[in-house]
Amino acid sequence: MNAAYEFVTGPLAWIAWGIFLLGSAWRLISMYQLAKKKDASSWAFLDLGFSLRSIVNWLIPFNALGWRKNPLLTVTTFAFHVCLVAVPVFLMAHVALWTEFFGLSYATLPDNVADIMTLVVLAACLVFAGRRLTQKDVAYITTGKDWLALAIVALPFLTGFLAYHQVFDYQIMLIAHIVAGEIMLAAIPFTRLSHMVFAAFTRAYMGSEFGGVRHARDW
Amino acid sequence: MRRILPLLILAALTLVAAQALAQESITKLAPEAFGKFQRPPALFAHDKHNEKAKLDECVVCHHGGADGKQDKSASTEGTPCADCHKVKPAGKATGLQRAYHKQCIDCHRAKGKGPLACGQCHKR
Repeated sequence: MNAAYEFVTGPLAWIAWGIFLLGSAWRLISMYQLAKKKDASSWAFLDLGFSLRSIVNWLIPFNALGWRKNPLLTVTTFAFHVCLVAVPVFLMAHVALWTEFFGLSYATLPDNVADIMTLVVLAACLVFAGRRLTQKDVAYITTGKDWLALAIVALPFLTGFLAYHQVFDYQIMLIAHIVAGEIMLAAIPFTRLSHMVFAAFTRAYMGSEFGGVRHARDW
Repeated sequence: MRRILPLLILAALTLVAAQALAQESITKLAPEAFGKFQRPPALFAHDKHNEKAKLDECVVCHHGGADGKQDKSASTEGTPCADCHKVKPAGKATGLQRAYHKQCIDCHRAKGKGPLACGQCHKR
């Protein structure tokens, strides 16, 4: 089992990070080229001020009309995204691995806090799933790709929670957790998770059009 | 002197026995310096481990050194790890958590034997 652990924390981790970083760069560059070719006018009115105005206003919970209209989604998505990023980055066990492999060390979350934040992520995934099933307008536009993205995100947290509490076979669960995390990293550029890379540009595009062309707010 | 000599020998023997017994009773690494533990203390049966790992030299683990550099010639058995490795180290010194992880995991990796992952030592 040590050999499997060393493989998933070694070569497989490098591959996953490589796919994530290079894939994200490739998606950004090819989207830039496509936008320049197919939607050249949008580049003309792209404006930093209007872009940042839109990004900032959408980053404040209940500030945008879209947030005020969907209070459950607003609370869920903000809590979800904060925990989704903070837990893997600041988890003590993850930082211990950065220290072990690269000598890096930085602030960590207390384990009991990270444990609750993991449950927040999983609960949010259930809310998202329920929304896709029960809310008609959302159900109508939901495809397999959305379910795939949701599953890819939920799995590292579910397996991480079970491994941390040492439920079932610890070593198998830990290896499953690491592989699930690596699948998530590698999937970011090529699935619905790519909004991690594109979200700021989507808002910049909308903000610039609403600010510079329609002279209206987009939040 | 003749009267107190047996007493001195007895006292010395008691000390040695106490030390040996204390060492035998080490089954986990739980230095008080950490304060409240976030995870269960690492399981470590000192004598059993060394027998299994065929370790006779104390200095293999109980090294000396300073400023983040190990000195494998100076044996420091009997000195608790936390005496030199502080929880929050200053300068280039190695912190206590890092010292334990490095000591155990690096050797296990090099030998291709023994636990590597968190929960293999920090068992619930």
